[in-house]
Amino acid sequence: MENKVLTPLGQECLQSLLKIWLDFDFSLNNVPVVKRLEQGRLSLEDYQTLLLNLRQQVIEGSRWISRSASSFDRDYSDIRSIVIGHASEEHRDYLLLEQDYVATGGNVEDIQSAKKNMGSEALHGFLMYRASQPNPIDLIGAMWIIEGLGNKMALKWSKCINEQFTFDQSATSFMDYHGENDEHHLAELYKLIDRVATSEKNIENITRTAKVVAKLYKLQLEEVDNDE
Amino acid sequence: MDVYINSTGHFLPGKAINNDEIEEVLGLIHGKKSRLKKKILQSNGILHRHYAINTAQETVISNSEMAANAGRNCIDNSYLSSNKIKMLSCATSQGDNVLPGFGSMVQAALNISEIELSTSHGICSSSMMALKTAFNAIKCDDHDNALVVASELTSRLFKHTRYEQVENNDVDFNAEFLRWMLSDGAGALLLENQSRPTGKSLKIDWIKSFSHANAFPVCMSVGQAKDEDHKTWQDYATYSEAERAGALLLRQDVRLLDNIVAVGVQGFLKLISQKHVDTDKIDHVLCHFSSKYFKSKIFDMLETAGASIPEEKWYTNLYQRGNTGCASIFIMLDEFINTHDLKVGETIFCMVPESGRFNCAYMHLTVAE
Repeated sequence: MENKVLTPLGQECLQSLLKIWLDFDFSLNNVPVVKRLEQGRLSLEDYQTLLLNLRQQVIEGSRWISRSASSFDRDYSDIRSIVIGHASEEHRDYLLLEQDYVATGGNVEDIQSAKKNMGSEALHGFLMYRASQPNPIDLIGAMWIIEGLGNKMALKWSKCINEQFTFDQSATSFMDYHGENDEHHLAELYKLIDRVATSEKNIENITRTAKVVAKLYKLQLEEVDNDE
Repeated sequence: MDVYINSTGHFLPGKAINNDEIEEVLGLIHGKKSRLKKKILQSNGILHRHYAINTAQETVISNSEMAANAGRNCIDNSYLSSNKIKMLSCATSQGDNVLPGFGSMVQAALNISEIELSTSHGICSSSMMALKTAFNAIKCDDHDNALVVASELTSRLFKHTRYEQVENNDVDFNAEFLRWMLSDGAGALLLENQSRPTGKSLKIDWIKSFSHANAFPVCMSVGQAKDEDHKTWQDYATYSEAERAGALLLRQDVRLLDNIVAVGVQGFLKLISQKHVDTDKIDHVLCHFSSKYFKSKIFDMLETAGASIPEEKWYTNLYQRGNTGCASIFIMLDEFINTHDLKVGETIFCMVPESGRFNCAYMHLTVAE
């Protein structure tokens, strides 16, 4: 990959973000549904429930990205452009989740009418709050965690699921999609890190948001097992 | 109290065995050549190794004798006579006896009196645990010096006859994998509370480790059969029953193995964020990676993190001396010191990732005046 983070502050920020990602990645191993998924003990209902839960957050996900785009003022118009591009690329991702749900034998009305779990509520609430602040550069930290998870889903989870089940047509298109686009998104994130990690204060804000998003995303996955 | 590594030693049994000779020593399983051997050796890059068993799979030298030889070699290179040693801290993944502790057997073989004794048990990182125990003992002024020895004799687990006992010839990839990775040897370090004017005294700045056993399943083990969740070797009615079930084979869950890279890098980033290490100030890296394959993975991830260390700073003797588990890092340090012209103030960063249940140990050394 050609797009490397070059500035010393950018490097410092990148190191902290990767560390936060790895902490999050390890902590997911103790989330019951993730444990079952990765250790080959997932039931079909588990996978359906996972898709159903993810969809509720993903469909709202494009909202916080779009809102954050409008919160960047003239001094950050270059970032605004990138964020708008990102929002437009991903704002219909939830359709893939619905498609996968149906491919597993689920009923489309069920996934469309389900509510956000408590973790998704918290995550969505936090992201919308941050996205409404002026020039919310800290959301680079949120994108880092969410992109990282997309990458993990594509490289690992999709494989685990396809080893455990056989479907007539792909039921992992959401997870696989994130793999195909990962290189491009990661390159974009690297560019953004160099652009915004220009002070210790900015790095602190970015890493703080990354940590909060990681914690709330974990809660969202934990809540997959908690039927209300 | 500062702590210095003032002497090192090693012992590698017999002659170096090349890739074509491995099966002459370990034997052919059911008389057939392995179909996995070539692929695994290509990936790990190891060209030579040593075994403490001969071509009839008889033990030529015991694990504790190898440890004692490395210890003697280390003392011979030092300013001390063996009767001045105050503490002996030993590590191995499996001693010759199940009990008593490995350290007792090594002490007897070394014939050193009334020392404080410690034995660390584990896999690759157990040598770093033994080293830390000795480091702390000197640091808190309990002792002036300590001899630390790590030794492995895993080839006994790789004899063809071990695999032939398993019911239905059920030897899967995970059970055979380590047969082409691990070999025998011992390494030793002598620690003191003062440096010596050899130009090769290394001050131990710190030793730290981060274990993730709560977050990951077992990845490398002896004691549990394939697809067996709870029952371990002593739960069978007889040992032969455990052996037939495959519970005594050394196994590696290859699917989980990639996690070791993330664990190693996570700890490294943690040490950077805690200001214990500065990548620009590292002069030499000695990392116990088990294969060439993992070296490139570690490189890639450090690069992704913006924390890469130039390749010319990395040293290993894995390809020539083999992967000797917990002994590797000491054998590596010994050869590194003896083949490099070190300058005062140069820093050495050591890293020992263990895949057993994911522990990674790190050490920072500075060449003393």
